[in-house]
Amino acid sequence: MNVKFVIGRYATDREVAGELGPPFPLPYADKPRKTYQTFDLDLPDEAMVLDGLIHIREYEDESLCVRCSCRCAICGSCAMWINGHAKLACTTKLRDVVQDGSVQIEAPPSVGAVRDLVWDQKQFWDKMRSVKPWLEGKQPVPRNEEYRVPNEAMDELVQEISCISCGACLLDCESFAVNPDFVGPHALARAYRYAADPRDAITDQRLKEYSEPNGVWDCTHCFECVQVCPKGVAPLDQILKIRRMAVDAGYTHNAGTRHADAFAESVRESGRLNELTLMPKSVGLFNLVGQLQSLPSAFNLLRAGKLPPIIHHKVPNWQRIKNIFKRIGGRFAR
Amino acid sequence: MKVAFWPGCVSKGACPELYVSTRKVCEALGVELRELYEASCTGAGVLSEQNPALADSLNGMTLAMAEREGADLMTICSTCQGVLSAHNHHFQKDPQRLAKANEVLAESGFHYGGTTKVKHLLWILVEDVGLDAIRPLIQRRLTGLKVAPFYGCYILRPEEYLGIKERPERKTYLEQIISMLGAEPVEYLGKSKCCGFPMVTMNRDASLTMGGNHMLEAKSKGADLLVTPCPLCHLNLDAQQPDAARVMKTKIDVPIFHLPQLLGLAFGFSPEELRLDHHVVSTSKALEKVELKV
Amino acid sequence: MIYDHDVLVIGAGLAGMRAALEAARNGADVAVVSKVHPLRSHSGAAEGGINAALDPGDSWEIHAYDTIKGSDYLADQDAVEIMCREAPGDIIEMEHMGVTFFRNAEGKLGTRAFGGASKARTYFVADITGQALLNALYDTLLKAGVKVYEEWFATAIYAPDGCARGVVAIDMLAGELNMLRSRAVIVAAGGSGRVYEPSTNALICTGDGHALAYRIGAPLMDMEMVQYHPTTLKGTGFLMTEGARGEGAYLLNAEGERFMKAYAPNMMELASRDVVSRAETNEIAAGRGADGCVFLDMRHLGPEVIHKKLPQIHEIALNFLGLDMLDHPIPVRPGMHYIMGGIKTDAEGATPIPGLYAAGECACVSVHGGNRLGANSLLDTLVFGRRSGAHAANYVKTAAPTAAGEDFLGSEQRRVRELLDRPYAGQTYARLRLELATKMDERVGVYRDEAGLNDALATIRDLERRYQTLSVQDKGRVYNQALTFALEVGYMLDCAEATVVSALERTESRGAHARTDFSQRDDANWLKHVLITRRPSEEPAISYQPVTITQWPPKERTY
Repeated sequence: MNVKFVIGRYATDREVAGELGPPFPLPYADKPRKTYQTFDLDLPDEAMVLDGLIHIREYEDESLCVRCSCRCAICGSCAMWINGHAKLACTTKLRDVVQDGSVQIEAPPSVGAVRDLVWDQKQFWDKMRSVKPWLEGKQPVPRNEEYRVPNEAMDELVQEISCISCGACLLDCESFAVNPDFVGPHALARAYRYAADPRDAITDQRLKEYSEPNGVWDCTHCFECVQVCPKGVAPLDQILKIRRMAVDAGYTHNAGTRHADAFAESVRESGRLNELTLMPKSVGLFNLVGQLQSLPSAFNLLRAGKLPPIIHHKVPNWQRIKNIFKRIGGRFAR
Repeated sequence: MKVAFWPGCVSKGACPELYVSTRKVCEALGVELRELYEASCTGAGVLSEQNPALADSLNGMTLAMAEREGADLMTICSTCQGVLSAHNHHFQKDPQRLAKANEVLAESGFHYGGTTKVKHLLWILVEDVGLDAIRPLIQRRLTGLKVAPFYGCYILRPEEYLGIKERPERKTYLEQIISMLGAEPVEYLGKSKCCGFPMVTMNRDASLTMGGNHMLEAKSKGADLLVTPCPLCHLNLDAQQPDAARVMKTKIDVPIFHLPQLLGLAFGFSPEELRLDHHVVSTSKALEKVELKV
Repeated sequence: MIYDHDVLVIGAGLAGMRAALEAARNGADVAVVSKVHPLRSHSGAAEGGINAALDPGDSWEIHAYDTIKGSDYLADQDAVEIMCREAPGDIIEMEHMGVTFFRNAEGKLGTRAFGGASKARTYFVADITGQALLNALYDTLLKAGVKVYEEWFATAIYAPDGCARGVVAIDMLAGELNMLRSRAVIVAAGGSGRVYEPSTNALICTGDGHALAYRIGAPLMDMEMVQYHPTTLKGTGFLMTEGARGEGAYLLNAEGERFMKAYAPNMMELASRDVVSRAETNEIAAGRGADGCVFLDMRHLGPEVIHKKLPQIHEIALNFLGLDMLDHPIPVRPGMHYIMGGIKTDAEGATPIPGLYAAGECACVSVHGGNRLGANSLLDTLVFGRRSGAHAANYVKTAAPTAAGEDFLGSEQRRVRELLDRPYAGQTYARLRLELATKMDERVGVYRDEAGLNDALATIRDLERRYQTLSVQDKGRVYNQALTFALEVGYMLDCAEATVVSALERTESRGAHARTDFSQRDDANWLKHVLITRRPSEEPAISYQPVTITQWPPKERTY
């Protein structure tokens, strides 16, 4: 097939390529010195995007920089933006992404580019390091033999072990795009892998740390990472598991837990969400700064005639719903 | 056609304009709404996250109620759509999970057999009613209006739960409807991204910046307004817009329409009937383009 | 810039990281130089598993015998004994580092069957064992705080006085050459698969380590021993793990027969890799192949096994051939996979050059001899990575300090500058590499003969001449890949030369080296290794080293 590869190129000199690091100017504006260069290619119908990139650098322009190695989604080198979504170039079929005869490829704006498609991975690795992604084995370490663990516990971790650290999840993470300090889906998936490992001795400390600002509660729950992960790691699912473990472990002094509690209480006692009380309770009734921050929106709602009724109506037969809460038990049943 | 109708919590609370316009538009389309007054909130993913068994039961009951009506379950909120689809999917894939939920539901006299299909109004418009059937109802073509679609995460991802693998065109229904109504859909990256609502209580500034970015991007591509099928997105984009503008230190001024409001305008309803005069961000400039006032 | 450390490791795969970890644990200031981030190392592509005689019904002696028989009696038996005896300890240690090995019903490590093994002794994590080990080791390296110079491309080993004293490398992100001085250098830069086309190897496997050591006079050993893996995917050459056959997959010819019964009636599909590759080549040559391939049939394994134990290859076959192994046999053929040969070391990882060590695929101890058993490579990297790290850390305690190096750095800078400044004269790195690799597959593959080998050698000489005018079309400073690819072609030419010259030398067939003009194994004359050492301005020198036999006298090798 004939395809135009439209590739985001950066100047070769690092200084000119622009200072690295978000927050990037809104909205998704191009970095100052990026230009797009078009290559006209004729490739086999079954070709992957990477085949085109390699062809370009071997036969058309040796200065095109691409990280790639294994060519089959094992090494994780070739994550990049293809038509605005993070993908591995080696397993993205051209025919799935070509639109009107062309495909646009670049390093995403939320991370800096070193050059061309080589994006700056320093913060990616730093974030991973920050969650202590190693085993602190329970003591005493068995002498001359393995820890005994059931296969189910190891099976539970296979999903995260499949992670090849390609970075696609971070590249498409909305929360990271607006808050560069968010530790991100990759790091948190790694974090779960160790938090849930029965041989790890510092699970409690992990849960405490991951519950702090820029940790698990800064995820916006949007499933981008689940959608883009080439290995089915589903980072969001791992983040949610950490949240559950952390709440069960008692790390509940955060807006996320208060939000869930307020939500549950509202549904339990009336069958429906009470937006009027949800915000103040989530923010924390004694959190004066937070309460003050929410006031303008409440006022705006009032002015527009959209403030929910002060008397929150319960649904008919709301007791039935409350009984379900009690039957299931757990934190929300009280 | 008739549907079992789950309006969600927000259309009965902070977004009454959504409920009102939905009722009007469905009546015009001949879609009979059997509202499920006794169904509970889906939990919006928050309950699913912290207590999957609880969310299974609550949503299982809603699905069972729809099953009793013998009709598809229609939602008007991307979030409801996402949560109900997810639980429905889990029930299909894991009979044990369904059995456990049914054990709980039995005490309330319910049983979910697994047959309900969950469909957002957006899908029903294209797949069940059909664009050809809607076109004759258009009395006022929205020519000249540039409309940016904003889907809301949970009606797009994960694709596995939403039948998008089988019907990838579901990712384009908003654009199709916008075009059919005579307006011009605006293409921009933010259309499929997150509005920030799920984390507005955890990191307010980041949440509002997310939504703000998408609105500004759409505006930079010429959009007169955003249209969204999710009232939670609507809250973060409309109700919080003044605050977002403050956080981002820039003017935004992009009105946010609910999907049924856009349709209702085209069907000839007045802006007041559709409560377009009850938004936080004024809709007047957009309405002027189609020679309407609020 | 000049940086000082005690021990430098080139390569951050399993062998490199294991060596660095051990050196650090022994008190050395160690740093790793890697041209890619450690997690991109090709160790991560290993799928099937890692061998150890942990099971009480097994013994290290049986493991050793299987390995030695697998090597066609070219392996040095004292080194094999060490590897097999220490294997259980290394597996346990990896488990303590957090590897999520498969468990049996008692919660202990569980096994799968693998090629050439008389007992099941392969420990695994689904079909991503290499990836699991690599990640656990990297995580542990992070915990230990070992310095890694990421995306630094090594251009030369500094050996001013006949001792290894450092590495010159290009910092790709900054675009600068730097001198890293040390008192020991451990080369763990992996294999040289890209010398062949097709190959299961990643694009980074260009024999850098082999060439860097070769260029400072370290002998390379057994370079003619190149393993063709029997089940590489048609077209792309991607690896379909031996673990599939371990789980029970069949090999079928175009007539639907399990042809291995004619070649290895006992072990069938799980005979050693060279035996299976030759069997496939014969079937295809006899007209019982389909489009140059045979078939790997996993349909009878069922969805449970395939999704749980072989998910990665399931995905690859689906992605690249559009075939679901649940319903279709998968076309496969032999493809170049591993090189048993490498930098000659003893069992401590030490080469004849003081201060120079090697471990992993780029080393030749030799434990794999003429043919490597599946799941022994991962083991090799850990055992000899550890041993060389420990030995190097000890060595530097008394080694004389390294000084100077500015001149050498300067000369490297000039060499690179010269390459960058060359005008275009028709030679590009891509074309040279492809010509080399296709010729190697044609003439130096599963079967070889003198005429073919000479043809290959002539091509190599011609390419070496043309390499002198190779120019690089990217003149930029930062992340100049064209430059590093051009340097890699040089490394590949060195490896290819060593392989072909050694193959011409060995006038017998043994292990993976199958000569149609000398088709018998000749223990009387050839129970020895072929070593090749570069000499400046002369043909390389050939020497020999007898195989060390301890307990297992050579016998006829049948499966």
